[in-house]
Amino acid sequence: MAFTRGTARRYNRTRSALRDVLLDVYSTVLALGCVAAIAVSFVLALRDQIAGRGVVERSLVDGRWQVLPAEVLWVLLTYAGLASLAVLARRLGPVTASPAEAVWWLPLPLDRRPLVLPAFLRRTLAAGLAAAVAYLPFSVLTALDRQAAGHLLAAATFGAMAVIAVAGAAALQLTLQRQEPRRRALLLAGLLPGAVLPFLVQAVWPLPAALAAAAWMLACVAARAGSVPGADLMRGGAVSGHVHASVFFLEANELHRALAVEPGASRQRRWGAGLHARPVRGAFHALVRADVVAFFRLRPPLAGPLLSLATCVGVVLIHPALPALLQIAVMVIAGCATAAGTGRVIRRTALIPELDALVPLAPWLVRLSRLVMPALALAFWMGGLTGILAALGAAGPLLVALGVAAGAGMAAGTLRAAARPATDWSRPPVETPFGPVPRDQLSTLLRGTDLTVLVMVPVMLALFLDAASPMLVLAQLALSAGAIAFQARFAK
Amino acid sequence: MAGVGAVLEARELLVGYGDTPVCGEVTVAVEPGEVLAVVGVNGAGKSTVVRTLAGRQLPLAGDALVHGLPVMPDAVLFRRQVAAVFDEDVFFPSLTVREHLLLVARGHSVASPDKAVAAELKFFGLLGRADAVPDSLSSGQRRRLLLAAGFIRPSSLLILDEPEQRLDPVMRDALGRRIRGHAGAGAAVVLVTHDPRLLVQTATQCLVVGDFVELVDPMQGASAIAGS
Repeated sequence: MAFTRGTARRYNRTRSALRDVLLDVYSTVLALGCVAAIAVSFVLALRDQIAGRGVVERSLVDGRWQVLPAEVLWVLLTYAGLASLAVLARRLGPVTASPAEAVWWLPLPLDRRPLVLPAFLRRTLAAGLAAAVAYLPFSVLTALDRQAAGHLLAAATFGAMAVIAVAGAAALQLTLQRQEPRRRALLLAGLLPGAVLPFLVQAVWPLPAALAAAAWMLACVAARAGSVPGADLMRGGAVSGHVHASVFFLEANELHRALAVEPGASRQRRWGAGLHARPVRGAFHALVRADVVAFFRLRPPLAGPLLSLATCVGVVLIHPALPALLQIAVMVIAGCATAAGTGRVIRRTALIPELDALVPLAPWLVRLSRLVMPALALAFWMGGLTGILAALGAAGPLLVALGVAAGAGMAAGTLRAAARPATDWSRPPVETPFGPVPRDQLSTLLRGTDLTVLVMVPVMLALFLDAASPMLVLAQLALSAGAIAFQARFAK
Repeated sequence: MAGVGAVLEARELLVGYGDTPVCGEVTVAVEPGEVLAVVGVNGAGKSTVVRTLAGRQLPLAGDALVHGLPVMPDAVLFRRQVAAVFDEDVFFPSLTVREHLLLVARGHSVASPDKAVAAELKFFGLLGRADAVPDSLSSGQRRRLLLAAGFIRPSSLLILDEPEQRLDPVMRDALGRRIRGHAGAGAAVVLVTHDPRLLVQTATQCLVVGDFVELVDPMQGASAIAGS
């Protein structure tokens, strides 16, 4: 292994000119500097707005009898972040072997620990560092009275907890498959008290305690890293490689495809075999039924939509209230994330357009069929969200009709995003402060999200104005129907 | 791990995906010096059978034993005894052909690894490309490199999944001789193939995989491939 690594290093050095390395370092530092400057100014502006309650003095839900202390919501969001990190880490491995390592290293009759450990430790510490950096703006925005040192301490504590989450995910790789659900539940339960630690910055002990726990967890996992089954090392390596390539090429659809692979999901789902076999009336009916069955067989993720829903409800209930515009922004982001999650079937079928050509139907009918389940799922989700908000006193009962109509229309955005064409890398890139970017990259990235946001405008307007009028419902219906019709009829 | 008796033994082995078997039950034993050919039509489940024997996937039912012990692909002893060459066209992008083989030879503690690598390069016709990275090889040359990696290391069980793919006729004949030689040295070989000539050249018994799995002699196996 040392031989492979040393040879690879020598090979890379011989093919890297000093000038290129310096240019890469320069452009990376410049891009990171620009990102940091934009992020810092955005966070500080938002902080001032929250502190001053500048634009809007009221919440979306006024005079409510239910109140959620803001601190509770921040702790719950911190926990959601840690739990998501643990789940994500388990999907990615986190102890992995790349495809080449799997073919050339794993069959060797050697202890696998030196093979997998350095990369695992590197990735775990990088995850901890990234989590700490990402937590900093959250801390700045949610703890207005905290000093700079307090924010740094909270971020460092969260980083240590992130290391525990990743190391815990690695410990799951060492358990038997049948024991994994129980152990995963234990890990997620164990992270709950850890989510409180970043908020106890007045005390001295949380950071050392979190660091000690992280070191202990890492030491335990590192000692047994060579015992992770080869099949799981290969699975993790394949998923990690796919995710890495997707992020490198900024390909959101590929990222969704990569993360759809669940560890230990070897059993095929047979849901709906009876439904699929029943007689149909025509090709369109058959296609819709196949899409319905495929939607459920591909295991639509439930945790994400539920977490988004809970977050949306949480931000309108907290005390002191957040500005209404910020609450709406959270809902739009949650809506876009949920809409993206319903596009699994579309993303799969987009890979093999020849399959659609086999069906004797016009392409727009095929696209319409693909929209059915995302539209139903999103109508259900938006109906649930607006129903809760209406029950809390926001905008009146017509809000639910608006929500359902908006949800159905948001599926058009899902289709637009999931079937987006790949970026044309052959066109010359555009120079930006973040380095050269392919000409169509931004428009490709935003394709789909633009339509989802557009369709949500009437319902968000009703929330902002605290009035869901029949005119707005009509406008929402027209917009949703128009979006679906446009996307089904004219989209490529 | 090495001992007397069958090197590989499958008892009522059922293989497949999810809960669905892809072929009938497999019961077979391969002794040292024997070459078991595995044949069948496309999709019959040949590769699934050998992937299960190699520990690449779990059986649905039954037992697969190597030297009397269950197949354990993560055990060091198993990895020392079993060499498997599947159609895995994956290489380290920065290692040359020679360095890939050197890695395997050193990893398996081959005596005089440099000499062993030179011999394999010569046998598989890769001497002229020894210092090239795999990305610059033809698909047939990459196949030769994978085969060389399978033969350079010691093994008491060698599993080859359609090794003739992408090889020219001369190399196929050489491969047949090499397989026979490997078996002659005391190893057991499991060979999935669609090539009747390679089968007849090498096999001592033949497993025809389908809805029912039956053990036949190599000539009958070759006829099964040829469809007569």
